[in-house]
Amino acid sequence: MSFRFFFSEAMNSLVRNWVMSMAAIVTVLVSMFILGLGMILFFNFQDAISDLRSKLEIEVFIKNTASQEEIDALGVEIRDMPEVKSVYFVSKEEALQRLRESLKGNEDVLDALSGNPLPPSYQITLNNPDQIEEVASRFFDHPIVDNTPGKDPPDGVKYGGETSDRVLKVTTIFLISGAVFVALLTMASILLISNTIRLSIFARRREVEIMRLVGATNWFIRWPFVIEGVATGIIGATAAALAVLLANYFLVQNVVEKMPFLFSASAVPIFRLTLFVIAGGTLLGAVGSTLALRRFLRI
Amino acid sequence: MINFDHVSKIYEPSIIGLKDVNVHIDRGEFTFLVGHSGSGKSTFIRLLLKEFEPTEGTITVAGRNLQRMRRSTLPYHRRNIGCVFQDFKLLPNKNVAENVAYALRVTGQPIRAIRRKVPEILQLVGLGDKMYNLPDELSAGEQQRVSVARAFVNHPSLLVADEPTGNLDPDTSVGIMQLLYRINRTGTTVLMATHDREMVDKMRKRVIALEDGQIIRDEDKGLYR
Ligand SMILES: Nc1ncnc2c1ncn2[C@@H]1O[C@H](COP(=O)(O)OP(=O)(O)OP(=O)(O)O)[C@@H](O)[C@H]1O
Ligand SMILES: [Mg+2]
Repeated sequence: MSFRFFFSEAMNSLVRNWVMSMAAIVTVLVSMFILGLGMILFFNFQDAISDLRSKLEIEVFIKNTASQEEIDALGVEIRDMPEVKSVYFVSKEEALQRLRESLKGNEDVLDALSGNPLPPSYQITLNNPDQIEEVASRFFDHPIVDNTPGKDPPDGVKYGGETSDRVLKVTTIFLISGAVFVALLTMASILLISNTIRLSIFARRREVEIMRLVGATNWFIRWPFVIEGVATGIIGATAAALAVLLANYFLVQNVVEKMPFLFSASAVPIFRLTLFVIAGGTLLGAVGSTLALRRFLRI
Repeated sequence: MINFDHVSKIYEPSIIGLKDVNVHIDRGEFTFLVGHSGSGKSTFIRLLLKEFEPTEGTITVAGRNLQRMRRSTLPYHRRNIGCVFQDFKLLPNKNVAENVAYALRVTGQPIRAIRRKVPEILQLVGLGDKMYNLPDELSAGEQQRVSVARAFVNHPSLLVADEPTGNLDPDTSVGIMQLLYRINRTGTTVLMATHDREMVDKMRKRVIALEDGQIIRDEDKGLYR
């Protein structure tokens, strides 16, 4: 029975105080929307990165002077490594063929070459892309690998290490700045909710005084304010969750087709994300009103 | 019912509220607290409600030592004391019935009991037909009746009134006075601080007179003087 009473008291106060309530609701909306959007992007990037990394391979170029036995021995050595998933040998001829294909329309450049200067190579994929540097480094000092002496990093072994490092670095920066931004917005939401509740405590100080006189317990006095804060959070967060759903729909509809390498609909657990956003807003409301109660409702 | 044992209240920095007050009020008594402005009447009442602590001495209400009472039981102490003030202390945005219901809600009474008790008590104070009016649609006397109804709806064992007729004309005051008298007749202890000489003289009840925070007179069937 009491909940209905508390709830209607809270709603009255929310409506009476509507300008501040709106401001608080909108801040919750914005911060939770950006949090949700950030998480959609995060899930997609994570998906894209792991996709990218799983496609990473090591290319080991072999000196033109190496004998066929030495080349075969290296092939066996590679195949015996437990980390290796597959090995493919690219002969000099195939290398030239690939170059020709990649130069489509400008093949005549190759006519200037005398013979075939391209080295043969092994293309290696790994079971676990995280081991790529470790495995690649085993070829740095190999006698038949086509490393230019004194060059660091060795140029006879190519692996996507640098690219994936750069992608990782960019996403990390993106994530950190996103987190900072969301943290700032979260604090702003908490402060605004707490200020809204402070105003309603002030607006209802007479009521509070009377409640004390007639023997209301502390929690009886507090509940309406807590509910008001939580309701503010839930309203803002629900709006944010809807906006996040819309944004995700838009991304799936318009961007996934154009940039399938960056966005995929399946990467985002959208249902859980929506719940998370609503729970986040509720928490903001609870924290905001608790702060205000502690500071402004000394009982 | 009420016992003050060497009670003093000194406000910061050194204003005397009460000074070495010893008094005992029995269950069911009707007592007037009189004295000039600033003599300590409100201080006496606020100490009873445990709005603040005495600087010295012990206060016992209904067998409970207020100084030993834990903060968490304070609300239950207050439920046992109905209070009426000069300024009514009604909620302006709630109607008469809701104002009275407030005191019952706070004690966690079921809605059905509230629906039964509120009209009953409003009938008793003569406001059965004004249940749905807002306080500012009522006369001052009627507002004070609402506040008496709210104070009594829980049937507390003690009712304190701090100048309940201070804002009312003599005829209206008589009405409030009769109400408090009837409440006292049900067995409720009533303590009333007042400036109203005529009223005190007419009632011939116990009179405790304060001056500069000290009791200067305490007599049964007394006069205001
Ligand atoms: N909160 C307070 N802080 C400081 N001094 C106070 C406070 N309340 C009351 N006093 C002082 O204590 C003394 C007693 O005040 P009290 O309010 O008890 O008098 P009173 O008898 O109720 O007066 P009145 O008839 O005007 O209501 C006065 O000198 C008053 O100024
Ligand atoms: Mg006074």
